[in-house]
Amino acid sequence: MNAAAWLQVLASGLLMGLVYGLVAVGLSLIFGLMDVVNFAHGEFLMLAMYAAFGLFSFAHLDPVIALPLVAAAMFGVGAFAYAGVVRHALRFKANTGMVQIFATFGLATLIQGAAQYLFSPDYRSIKGGWLEGHTLNVGGVFLPSAQVYAALVSVLAFGGLYLLMTRTDFGRALEATREDKGAVALVGIDSNRVFTLGWGLGAALVGVAGAVLATFYYIHPQVGASFALIAYVTVALGGFGSVFGALAAGVIVGIVEAGTAALLPPALKALGVYLLYLAVLFLRPQGLFGKL
Amino acid sequence: MINRRDTLIGLAGLAGALTAARAQGGEVVIGAIYPMTGPTAQVGTDAKHAFDTALEVINTAVSLELPTAKNAGLAGLGGAKVRIVYADHQADPQKGRAEAERLITQEKVAAIVGCFHSSVSTTVSATCERYGVPFVCADSSSPSLHRRNLKFFFRTAAHDEMFSEAMFNFLDAQKAKGQKIASVGLFYEDTIFGSDSSNVQRKLAQERGYKVACDIKYRNSSPSLTAEVQQIKSASPDVLMPSSYTTDAILLVKTMAELGYKPKSIIAQAAGFVEKPTLDAVGDRLGGMITRASFSVDLGEKRASAHAINEKFKARAGRDLNDQTSRQFTALIVLADAIDRARSTDGQKVRDALAATDIPGDKTIMPWSRVKFGADGQNTFASPVLIQYVGNRFVTVYPFEVAAGAAQWPMNG
Repeated sequence: MNAAAWLQVLASGLLMGLVYGLVAVGLSLIFGLMDVVNFAHGEFLMLAMYAAFGLFSFAHLDPVIALPLVAAAMFGVGAFAYAGVVRHALRFKANTGMVQIFATFGLATLIQGAAQYLFSPDYRSIKGGWLEGHTLNVGGVFLPSAQVYAALVSVLAFGGLYLLMTRTDFGRALEATREDKGAVALVGIDSNRVFTLGWGLGAALVGVAGAVLATFYYIHPQVGASFALIAYVTVALGGFGSVFGALAAGVIVGIVEAGTAALLPPALKALGVYLLYLAVLFLRPQGLFGKL
Repeated sequence: MINRRDTLIGLAGLAGALTAARAQGGEVVIGAIYPMTGPTAQVGTDAKHAFDTALEVINTAVSLELPTAKNAGLAGLGGAKVRIVYADHQADPQKGRAEAERLITQEKVAAIVGCFHSSVSTTVSATCERYGVPFVCADSSSPSLHRRNLKFFFRTAAHDEMFSEAMFNFLDAQKAKGQKIASVGLFYEDTIFGSDSSNVQRKLAQERGYKVACDIKYRNSSPSLTAEVQQIKSASPDVLMPSSYTTDAILLVKTMAELGYKPKSIIAQAAGFVEKPTLDAVGDRLGGMITRASFSVDLGEKRASAHAINEKFKARAGRDLNDQTSRQFTALIVLADAIDRARSTDGQKVRDALAATDIPGDKTIMPWSRVKFGADGQNTFASPVLIQYVGNRFVTVYPFEVAAGAAQWPMNG
């Protein structure tokens, strides 16, 4: 491969990495807020992709327009997942960690089964969307417009999240609750409400990711699995709970993965990502940007 | 007074008697192990439609020139009906092995058909061998499957050596016509299907003097194939030969388009490339693609039963029979015919009946000359065809005797 081909690999890795970051940030947010790993995260992504597909097929809304609708719907799904499942799982006093894991894992299995039952296991994709088939050619490097759009949305979402976390009361309540749940209760913040909204926000972010992914990726009841695995690595790499660590780690994972696939036999492309992950685990167990 | 122990003994005796009676009067139970959930669940769903179509032929009287069609149920077993018990392997060889064991010991199946993924057929057939239960491999094409000296393994369809040989015969013929074909590019997924397929293709390429421009083994169901496609693009082979399941097939074609790469020609090892979801999603970029096949709808013009069965299948599944579903249908018919002739559900007797199978090609829906197994359980008469995707449908282009027309070559000139 020549220099131009390498440039292409890096550019594609960067675009995909920004999407990985966007997929992972909701997971990181929820973990940072209440130390719960949401094993249904990939299924949230899948639901969002089906929502975008449904809006496109039945309401003829392009995924670009449908994005806020999908995010809003996923906010509801996330809030409901907390209020309906996770909140009850947290009540158990014994073996809390396990109960949380199994509760969200069970939720994942349920969503996946329901999706296969309701939507059939066929692979869907959005045909005839605005961004389909357009590719920008920047000096021999091909940037598919759907992926450029996805990367832009990712950057904007992180920007918006930054403003939300630093400039609003809700953001400050979120930050305060994650630091000391007991203390915020004393100043009159209902931690249950913050958790519900936090789950909603986390799911809405993965909803944004699903809506942009739907513009160029196939949709399937199991589609969440391959992205969820990368999301877990991304969150651990960036630092559990670190929102912007997820962005940086997503980009790193995207580029390392693409680079490994170009250097080694592509069957081993996950190797680079996991080696990096292991190295971080040994040298900096809290992750690149984690506080812990 | 009846105590609990007597009741249990009575129930156990009753259950045993029922199992014995089931084969004679009522029904023959056959296990089908397919991916019913997981990334390839759609294959399992379609397989169920194919088997339901076969059950209609077997269990009701149908006037078609197919074995077991004429009368309702299996005549050799007093009109016994065939019932299928499904098990889900989720593309996992270990789950397949466990399910085979369960079907044999708990459900008392007379035989098992399966399993789409070659990797799963490997473990399931080994389990069947251990219990002395016949395994009819419907749609796994790895050549290594029939080379393990298994006595209970039978494969009705062609394997990848036969398929790949047809591909290279076709390439040689194109070259003889003056086409410039110097190199091939191998692109294959990282389980036994992909590696077996590529091993054969690599060997054939070397023997017949084609340069292997790229040899890419990739991780299946990856979120991205950009770097992989970049390598194909850099190598720019005259013929791209992918061995991929549906998810990767869709992603591969999309990524090639995104990177502005038009492969000169594609000859695919079927699998994902003949699945309707792939053609729905990226079919507009696959015009001119050639794939190996065991079946093509245009063959229905030559075999009346193929046309009729396709209609029955389409009414259930909402799509035409393809490479996979036609093989699944045929495997179950061949198995039912053997059980019918064995007049028994005993593993050894069904095995012997399968080994004695000799069905002429015109009594099948396939383009094969006949169904007759070699000592290794492989049907040596399952002649493969190559089909080309032109104008949203497949037409047969090879062998030339059965071709509907000349192949469009190269795919992207």
